[in-house]
Amino acid sequence: MNANKKFLISIGLLSALWLVIAFISIFTGTYDIGPIDAILNPDELSKTIFLSIRIPRVLMATIAGGTLALSGAALQALFRNPLASPFTLGISGGASLGALVAIRLGLGIGILGFSMVSISAFLFSILTMLFVYTVSKVGGVVATGRLLLAGVVANFLYSAIVMFIQFFSNFTESLQTMRWIMGSLDIVGFDTVWKTLIFVVPGCLILLISTKDMNLFGLGGDVASSLGVNVRRLEKKIYFATSLAAGSVISVTGPIGFVGLIIPHILRMTIGVDNRIILPCSFLLGASFLTAADTVSRTVISPVEIPVGIITAALGGIFFLWLLIKTKKEVIV
Amino acid sequence: MEKIIQCGNIFFSYNGTEVLKGINFSVSPGEMVGILGANGAGKSTLLKILSGLLLPDSGETLYRSKELLKLGRKELAKRLAYIPQDPVFAFPFTVTETVLMGRAPYIGRFEFEREEDRKIAQRAMETVGITHLKDRLISQVSAGERQLASLARALVQEPEIMILDEPATFLDVRHRTEIMKILIRLKEERGISIVAATHDIFSALYYFEEIKILKDGAIFAEGKTKTVVTEDILSAAYGINVRVKKDKGRVFVFPSD
Repeated sequence: MNANKKFLISIGLLSALWLVIAFISIFTGTYDIGPIDAILNPDELSKTIFLSIRIPRVLMATIAGGTLALSGAALQALFRNPLASPFTLGISGGASLGALVAIRLGLGIGILGFSMVSISAFLFSILTMLFVYTVSKVGGVVATGRLLLAGVVANFLYSAIVMFIQFFSNFTESLQTMRWIMGSLDIVGFDTVWKTLIFVVPGCLILLISTKDMNLFGLGGDVASSLGVNVRRLEKKIYFATSLAAGSVISVTGPIGFVGLIIPHILRMTIGVDNRIILPCSFLLGASFLTAADTVSRTVISPVEIPVGIITAALGGIFFLWLLIKTKKEVIV
Repeated sequence: MEKIIQCGNIFFSYNGTEVLKGINFSVSPGEMVGILGANGAGKSTLLKILSGLLLPDSGETLYRSKELLKLGRKELAKRLAYIPQDPVFAFPFTVTETVLMGRAPYIGRFEFEREEDRKIAQRAMETVGITHLKDRLISQVSAGERQLASLARALVQEPEIMILDEPATFLDVRHRTEIMKILIRLKEERGISIVAATHDIFSALYYFEEIKILKDGAIFAEGKTKTVVTEDILSAAYGINVRVKKDKGRVFVFPSD
């Protein structure tokens, strides 16, 4: 099938999938109200629930899942490695630490509408990415073993610092931090959504307009360059944009793991490896996946909400294990 | 006649070591030049400078009498195709998709390939004889077939010059011969200039009419293959004793004690 036909069909199907899931998610929850009642004769309570809890939450799940999956796909293109993702490269860890430091220092207030917490998360993610990339590059090529090790090292260092901060926190702060680290989409009102979008929209757009160059980059830096790609600039763009978008998402939701790894993987297994299709589709499937996971997390033992990070991490772990077993006889790394 | 590429007095050093020391080099339209030389003589570096992938420390590279880098990457990509020694295929695209990537300089940022681009890719695959592989994944074909795919990818750029770094080094004798024959055909039928570095001195002498021999970052000898290739020059260039035999207008080289 031609690339443009494949593009249109997959985008169409995945958008439909997202619409269905978002619709179900909005009308599912501890407070039970059907779609017809909600739209035709809502009372004050249901109005509040829909407008300040459910709809913002579905939007946040969409933004977070979409951004993490899109960033994962872009990082996999940059590192030319299917195991790269914000989580495995330590970027989530970096963003978490950055956000945590900002919260603890009382930098909750924003500057000119930008949240300091997001900015700090962004700075920590970009530093982590540069660290991991520099350490893992040997002779101009990213060595897979080094890449994953560098990610593990970064994660360990960050969790040491997070534990250190935890150790000196009081019980309430400590509990807050714990809940946050588990990853949750528990937000109220649209304010957080807009603040995240300020960073997410430019980040995601930069990645989406670079997909053609990412394909060429897969042929190696020299060939890409000989085909007209400014490789240096492309690399910088991907660092910057993924840190900006994923960092600001993580600063709100905490590190929601594995979405960035699994979603592009599943897509590559089904529709091929063309980044022009994989990246936008990753956004849509990531958005659908996280919205669905969040719906499960707040209904499975209702009225208690499980942090959605636990669900995605569990699913991610199982998926990774399955991938390891399946590829035992093939060379994957 | 206007040279396609002409470079003068090229110096290049890497990590403090001088790799190229004042190279002068030119390629005319429809010329096929082989670059020989021992490991580390500077062949790959020279090819990257000719392709605009590396900037020399000093010296200039002209493309049809204009400064090469002023042409812009995309414009250059429509005229010059580069095939590296060890091509990377990081993601398992199909062979057709890989070949189509050579159309990149002709396609806008938000466009997909047009029908015309697909036809050009189809023809290129026919030219190099890999039509039967078109739906296979590039990761699942042999090294020789991958190199043919690289060649097809370069071809759809519709270049007037192709620069190849060791196009046949890792290949078996059948694919090696196939690639050299395709290059000769491209040169003869389409007038594409070919510059190729090679370790394979035996087939280089067989197929190339022009030879340049690099030694320690400088051009040690150059000219028509039949005149350049002597026992003295080759022995000095590679640091071993070789013997040269000429038979029916062909030149053969083999090591001697």
